[in-house]
Amino acid sequence: MTAQLRSELLKQRSTRTNLGLLLAMLGLVLLAVLLHGFGLPAENVDSTSEQLTMVVGWGEKLGAVFAGLLGAMSITSEIRHGTIRPTFLVSPQRARVLAAKVLASMFFGAGVGLIATALAVGVGRAALGARGIESQLDGGAYALFLAGGTAAAALWAAIGVGLGAVVRNQVPTLIGICVWLLFVEGLLVGDLIGAVGDVGRFAPGAAAAAISGQDPDKLVAPAVGLVLLALYAAAAALAGSLATARRDVV
Amino acid sequence: MPIRRDQNAASSVDDGARPPLVPADAGARDPVVTASSLTKRYGELVAVDELTFSLRPGTITGFLGPNGAGKTTTLRLLLGLAEPTAGEALVFGRRYRELDDPVRRVGAVLESSDFHPGRSGRDHLRVLALAAEILSSRVEEVLELVELDSAADRRVKTYSLGMRQRLGLAAALLGDPELLVLDEPANGLDPAGVHWLRRFLRRYAEQGRTVLVSSHMLAEVAQTVDQVVIINRGRRVASGRLDQLTGRGKTLEDAYLELTAREAS
Repeated sequence: MTAQLRSELLKQRSTRTNLGLLLAMLGLVLLAVLLHGFGLPAENVDSTSEQLTMVVGWGEKLGAVFAGLLGAMSITSEIRHGTIRPTFLVSPQRARVLAAKVLASMFFGAGVGLIATALAVGVGRAALGARGIESQLDGGAYALFLAGGTAAAALWAAIGVGLGAVVRNQVPTLIGICVWLLFVEGLLVGDLIGAVGDVGRFAPGAAAAAISGQDPDKLVAPAVGLVLLALYAAAAALAGSLATARRDVV
Repeated sequence: MPIRRDQNAASSVDDGARPPLVPADAGARDPVVTASSLTKRYGELVAVDELTFSLRPGTITGFLGPNGAGKTTTLRLLLGLAEPTAGEALVFGRRYRELDDPVRRVGAVLESSDFHPGRSGRDHLRVLALAAEILSSRVEEVLELVELDSAADRRVKTYSLGMRQRLGLAAALLGDPELLVLDEPANGLDPAGVHWLRRFLRRYAEQGRTVLVSSHMLAEVAQTVDQVVIINRGRRVASGRLDQLTGRGKTLEDAYLELTAREAS
């Protein structure tokens, strides 16, 4: 298992995939936080919750998306390029390979989440500051946001691995993660109220946002979000492992 | 069916009709590869149909058949990448997935394109070596062996097809295995590369190790292998020593075309 983990860590370091994902994410975080920091009416961004959710929260959301993509690509890219064959020839215990992919992706995913949230905090503060809007976020809120964003991204990386192992085809997997996190969940939690919104806060993207203390009125408590997302991650990893163990490699 | 089958006990391809002849004295002569009534169905399609053969150590066996005959499927069943519908495929008496240290027993090259294009040749090998707990000095050894040491830091996407074939072979050799399984290894090799591969496989078999190589290039096969297993539509149509299938003015190509055409009609 240690051997497989070392191998997976080198796999992720030895191509430019992760670097490309990181750069794309940094660009999007910068864009989203600047647009919302400068674009939203001042009265919509003057409370703690609003500043956290509407402005710097983009760091957490995009961190989770890109960590999910990174995790998914750790398996779909191997299937796409055929390296899954030598991988399974060397390590026929496929569950071990999957577990190593989950751990390696969580490691890099955590890094992605930390960088995304840190950039969002820096840019968000600067943007609001430039408009003369006082930051309502204290050290505790920032600490929770950074730690929560890091944990959310790590767990989303694990979800990505599991999802990629089940779907296998790279493009649908990546589009699925983006559409779910950036569009579907926004509808479930954001705009719909009542029964759908009540259920929506238990969805994996909403749980990820909850960990970092965003939108406390609508979302579950950070600790509940962490447990919930960890359960999603475990379920996805298990599904991916079972799917990989049973299917033929063609 | 008037197909000449190998009935010679001295041959190291055992006919499925009889139990393999295992000498009482030496475990080293146990079959390296055994397929017993190996069958793989994909829905209605029968890709491999009751295929039975076994290989002795120290031999180079050509695995021949038309496109779609089930060669690649058979190799994947043998290597634990796919599960048989019925029957079994064993390497060293066990299913591949149950081998303790598969890389040190079996090396395989299945496709010439199983690389991440953005990863260097050396990193491709290091990734596999780490997973198999093989020292990085061995990575350098195999790079030299296949003459890729000067290109090792380049991304695989800059490699020619021949270089990719050699990188695949290097990966298969990492664990210094007793059995090499190669699917169409000569594709993309220039004449010098083919010559190099032939000499390499010869030396390999002379060390008492075993090679199973699928190929379409019959002329090349005839120069390299000791024996052949020919399949068509998932079934074995002939097997035996090369000199038993050829001779009397008949080339391997003649024998092959005759056998595969007869089965198809």
